[in-house]
Amino acid sequence: MTAVESWKQKLAHLMPPDLAREIDIFETQIELRKQGKIDERVFAETRLRRGVYGQRYDNGQRHDGVRVQKLRLPSGGLTKGPETVWDAPGMIRIKIPFGGLNPEQMEVLADLSEEYADGISHVTTRQDIQYHFVHIDDTPSLMRRLAAVGITTREACGNVVRNVTACPLAGVCKDEVFDVTPYAKACSKFLLGHPDTQDFGRKFKIAFSGCKQHPCGLTSMHDMGAIAKKKVVNGEERRGFEFYVGGGLGAVPYRAQLFNDFLPQEELLPIAQAASRVFARLGEKRNRARARVKFLVANLGIDEFRRMVLEEREKLAADPRWTDYLSRLHEWAEKPLKPGVSLDGSERPAGFDAWYATNVYHQEQPGYVVATVTLPLGDITADQLRALADIAPRFVKDTIRTTVEQNLVFRWVSEADLPDLYKALCQIGLGEPNAGTIVDVTACPGTDTCKLGIASSRGLARKLRTHLSEASLQLDESVKGLRIKVSGCFNSCGQHHIADIGFYGISRNVNGYTVPHFQVMLGGKFKDNAGAYGLPVGAVPSKRIPEVVTLVTDRYVRERQRGESFQDFISRIGKKEVKTMLDGLTKVPPHDVDPSYYSDWGDPREFTLTDMGVGECAGEVVSQAQFTLAASERELFEAQIYFDSGDFKKAVLTAYGAMVQAAQGIVKTQNYDISDNEEAILSEFQQRFCNTQLFYDKYAGRQFADYLFKARDALKSRGEIGEDLALRRLQETQLFIDAAHSCYKKLSELQSASRASVAGNASPGEG
Amino acid sequence: MDLQRINVKFFVENPDGILLTDFIRIFNSWIQASDGEYYDIADYNHVHAGPGVLLIAHEANISMDNTGNRLGLLDNRKQPLSGGNIEKLHFVFRSALEFCRRIENEPALGGRIKFRGDEALFLINDRLVAPNTEETFRAVKSELEALARILYGGAEFTLDHNGDPKQRFTVFIKTPRAFEVDTLLKNLDSYGDRLVGVGGT
Repeated sequence: MTAVESWKQKLAHLMPPDLAREIDIFETQIELRKQGKIDERVFAETRLRRGVYGQRYDNGQRHDGVRVQKLRLPSGGLTKGPETVWDAPGMIRIKIPFGGLNPEQMEVLADLSEEYADGISHVTTRQDIQYHFVHIDDTPSLMRRLAAVGITTREACGNVVRNVTACPLAGVCKDEVFDVTPYAKACSKFLLGHPDTQDFGRKFKIAFSGCKQHPCGLTSMHDMGAIAKKKVVNGEERRGFEFYVGGGLGAVPYRAQLFNDFLPQEELLPIAQAASRVFARLGEKRNRARARVKFLVANLGIDEFRRMVLEEREKLAADPRWTDYLSRLHEWAEKPLKPGVSLDGSERPAGFDAWYATNVYHQEQPGYVVATVTLPLGDITADQLRALADIAPRFVKDTIRTTVEQNLVFRWVSEADLPDLYKALCQIGLGEPNAGTIVDVTACPGTDTCKLGIASSRGLARKLRTHLSEASLQLDESVKGLRIKVSGCFNSCGQHHIADIGFYGISRNVNGYTVPHFQVMLGGKFKDNAGAYGLPVGAVPSKRIPEVVTLVTDRYVRERQRGESFQDFISRIGKKEVKTMLDGLTKVPPHDVDPSYYSDWGDPREFTLTDMGVGECAGEVVSQAQFTLAASERELFEAQIYFDSGDFKKAVLTAYGAMVQAAQGIVKTQNYDISDNEEAILSEFQQRFCNTQLFYDKYAGRQFADYLFKARDALKSRGEIGEDLALRRLQETQLFIDAAHSCYKKLSELQSASRASVAGNASPGEG
Repeated sequence: MDLQRINVKFFVENPDGILLTDFIRIFNSWIQASDGEYYDIADYNHVHAGPGVLLIAHEANISMDNTGNRLGLLDNRKQPLSGGNIEKLHFVFRSALEFCRRIENEPALGGRIKFRGDEALFLINDRLVAPNTEETFRAVKSELEALARILYGGAEFTLDHNGDPKQRFTVFIKTPRAFEVDTLLKNLDSYGDRLVGVGGT
């Protein structure tokens, strides 16, 4: 056998250089964390911004139904975040902007799920892909293999712009105004890693929709939502967006508010940037529960928020990326593999008609359809995903997308090919009908893997799927089209607010036991881009939720008026009546009579909340200054590697770069917009921190600051660089960075004292 | 070639009537009987021909796996093993068979599950180190043969390598003779005394 290369070596020529560099940096950060050179909170936010997320039990303990077991993990004391054991497996979230995938990417995703996870790729409610049970040490290789096919995990988690989602029918929809795909792509690319999106107090979610009336984009529940719109201006038809801000689900759902009823396409990215800056500057940072954009918009009022964003917009230096992509919109247009031919006369295999009725959408383009591949609970095995990657090129080009309903779609299928596609899907166990029906239940991970999960959303969803699949042939047509969505807790990752019938996990103390329950939410609206949020009508024991569905849907079928929607029906009979209807299902029998109530779906353990942990959805609030200081540590580490390899000149240059970066971090505490220009950084550092002596050490005075300026002067003089000088420069750099950390701490303490003083002055009036 | 990330699967003799969900309760009882060795249970019984129900641990995942629509017990080693290749193979095959025996003797199943001793799947879960090629097969063949001779007590056997480059390196070890799990374990034990130093690093 030939010598084995690493993935880094093997894929070097395939990875985009910027992605390759980012992964190298992350690998170094892992190493530095192992050496204790990065604070655990900073590392936690760092890894989150690389899509490396925590998972249930990663605090190193698990309740087995009888007692809490300390898990045998060989990490020593090493953590990857607060209360997060290094060797505990975690989740990786992979960003799939607008859900777009090609067969090559699908094949790689399949391979990675086998080699690093549990063999399953999970499609999320925001078009991402997630793996579970991944060891953090495997993540750099995993990321390199993704990068080689153009996928990044960057900013998939953490307080940043998350995956930019879009309607999976964009470009082929019969009702859309125009294809939003290239805009979603441009927005995703522009904001990824953008300096103005790095200092948020919480995550920031963006969605695009091609029309207003359909649900596919779900723009109303996003921090920022753009709906395609055209307008005639001076006799010329122009493209733009009905632009919304401040929506969100979570414990307190807010509908997005109209920012602009026609935002010209040229203004999309600058306004997104300006809104990011306002959010970064004014958004809540300390109270995590109120740190999303929706709270900022609500606090300021939409008019004031709009005014501030527009004012910010005026200050922005023009960026060619704002509009460059607009001249290439035509390049985006997808092309079919085959001519569009209608289905008439084709042989129809058994089961085809049922699948055709629910899983096929006729495109705007005659003869073409979108075929939905139903994924139970959003899960697909490695063999299935690999097989789909083989099947796809027989029917379509690179036109596959994930959906927010946790399925996959093949776009641009010639209708005449559907029977063959259906047969191919059946052969790999993916010929299930019922996409987008009441059977196609959506669920977040819940207690299966989420640290915040209270009840088993996937367990319930699995049960409901089985329960409803068995009855699906008998289901009334009016019920088939309803949506059920389940979340494991109030945070609403399962999007329970926008379902006709939604559930979220809670617990109740009954007879001295903790009993899993779900709060029942009725009347949410998936249509109209998540047009209305459902109302809670009562808590029901987890084990009786299937009966809730039967009871509510049966009554709807029996009593609905002609043409009456489910939302209107629920509204007509009223919350009180619905509550009365559910009353019979709320009783919990004593434990010795029926212990099944005291455990959750798919989990034989007696129910407990002991395993709930601290979630990472909110990330860690780590300032840009802290990130920059951490980056300077990493640069020093690289300088040390150059030194060890005998490249003293590169060691000295890199060490100097580390000092400049540390100085930049400190300057950022006072001037967030400091550029990367070396002279500008040194000048501001001198002015703000040396002249004021803020950087000076209590005992060493200006000594550490001088290391920076001395190093600069030495480089300018181009003297010879030998081992002794390089070693000394490395030592000085370490001292400078340590001093920068001390200075940051001192500044933080001053800031806290100042806040306390303001609060102290205000408190008498409140008492 | 340093063999790591070894996977071994033994197939169930008659999978009809066996519910994957039964293993959630069984694995949970194993967790309760252990002292922090097992991390969690993952249930994928809802997907077709998938990973089934997994018992997750740091060193290895044990699962009732239905990949390829063939139900069996899969021992998936995740952490590096020390020792020579034959020792590592011996260790993983033995571990897999011990889990098979534990399932066969599981009271909750009432003797409904028997594993086939005449076929085993060997897989390396690392496409970098072990691409599914003839070259990899040549590199591990003699060691696999040595293991198979021990496993089957000198009985005739074949190694079937399916060279699909998209799959992980996979070899089916088959013998025309029927073997009980206990017999295979005894065969391994007879050789095991000569092995030293293998195990998790």
